[in-house]
Amino acid sequence: MHISEGVLSPTVLLGGAVLAAAGVAAGMKDLDQKEIPSMGILSAAFFVASLMHVPVGPVSAHLILNGLVGLILGWKAFPVILVGASLQALLFQFGGITTLGVNTLNMALPAVMCHYAFRWGLKPQTSRPAFIFATFASGFGAAMIAGIMVGFSLYLTGEAFLPAAKLVVAAHLPVMLIEGGLTAACALFLRKVRPELLEGFYAP
Amino acid sequence: MNTKGSLGFCVYLLCVVLWIGISAGSAFAHKAVIFAWVEGDTVFTQSKLSGGRKALNSIVVVYDTDGNQLLDGKTDKNGEFSFKIPKRSALKIVLKASMGHLAEWTIPAEEIVADVGDVGHSHMENEANEDSKETSEDSATVKNKTANSIPAHVYLEHQALQQMIDKSLDKKLTPITNMLAKSMDREPGITEILGGIGYILGLVGIALYVASRRRND
Repeated sequence: MHISEGVLSPTVLLGGAVLAAAGVAAGMKDLDQKEIPSMGILSAAFFVASLMHVPVGPVSAHLILNGLVGLILGWKAFPVILVGASLQALLFQFGGITTLGVNTLNMALPAVMCHYAFRWGLKPQTSRPAFIFATFASGFGAAMIAGIMVGFSLYLTGEAFLPAAKLVVAAHLPVMLIEGGLTAACALFLRKVRPELLEGFYAP
Repeated sequence: MNTKGSLGFCVYLLCVVLWIGISAGSAFAHKAVIFAWVEGDTVFTQSKLSGGRKALNSIVVVYDTDGNQLLDGKTDKNGEFSFKIPKRSALKIVLKASMGHLAEWTIPAEEIVADVGDVGHSHMENEANEDSKETSEDSATVKNKTANSIPAHVYLEHQALQQMIDKSLDKKLTPITNMLAKSMDREPGITEILGGIGYILGLVGIALYVASRRRND
């Protein structure tokens, strides 16, 4: 999910950076002190998730965990993913500094989308199957949309969109399934142990 | 949301994070790497993706120093691609793996000039140049001198010897180049992982500090 340096045109890089900055600003608005520790932990989880490889399919793909981050944090996923992606670029050489904006946008925007699409599932009155469906769909969908956005970024730079997007999405199919399962498992655990956490973030 | 709740969540996620970190400690990278070396008149390249996977069917493009495209090709099923040296200049070799992965490797001009010289140009000229360096005489006279002074069979022997040396050197150096190729692909280890987590903890600390100051004011 990380686009290397030197692949995208300057316009795409700049556009991605501007949109990512707007997202980060939206996420940092009205930041509650109580949310900071969770943001930090989710950022750390996102940071190391990229080391978990799924050796299935034509190319190696890794976990993203943006669905989980988005489901719990909403717009705050933007600063969290920006921090995680910066450290991945600096320490692991995944992606790069110039592509940081695009990579953040590609992973954080699907997270926010899934937050709004599936947060109904976090209400305390939802049944268990519905809860599992919503959280699974959030993890699965966030990874899929991120793949499509990577394809779109490549398309803006001149690659044919459909093959590029198809390849990225197909390569990430196993990842999407694992992401969905992992997100559902984490959310189920939280619901059982600390349900107030999910509702707390649901409220706004 | 109470503080106890978020604390429990933090501890849980920290455990997950550490487990992932440790189990992945020796594991994989998510990037493309290309490594190239010269052997005789041929350049060999080896391409890898994250997780130690070979980059199959990926496009390799070769440019000269001015950015002109010289040739391109595709990696085989071992992620390898080799080509005859097309030009005596530094070569920039770019690997274009799928999904926006890109890596490059530059072969400096010195490495190439030496090797192409052995193959494409007559040995006489080389000798002459070497002599001219040593004696600092006019190169034209040296060329004549060399051509006249070395009998044909000695020259041939010399050439054969040179080739033998080159061949056995290549053979001896192959394991070393392979080792280098492997070490180029250094994967993130526990240092990077813990370093990154430390950064994040520091950022959380700063954020909490700022937030608590704002609250007290």
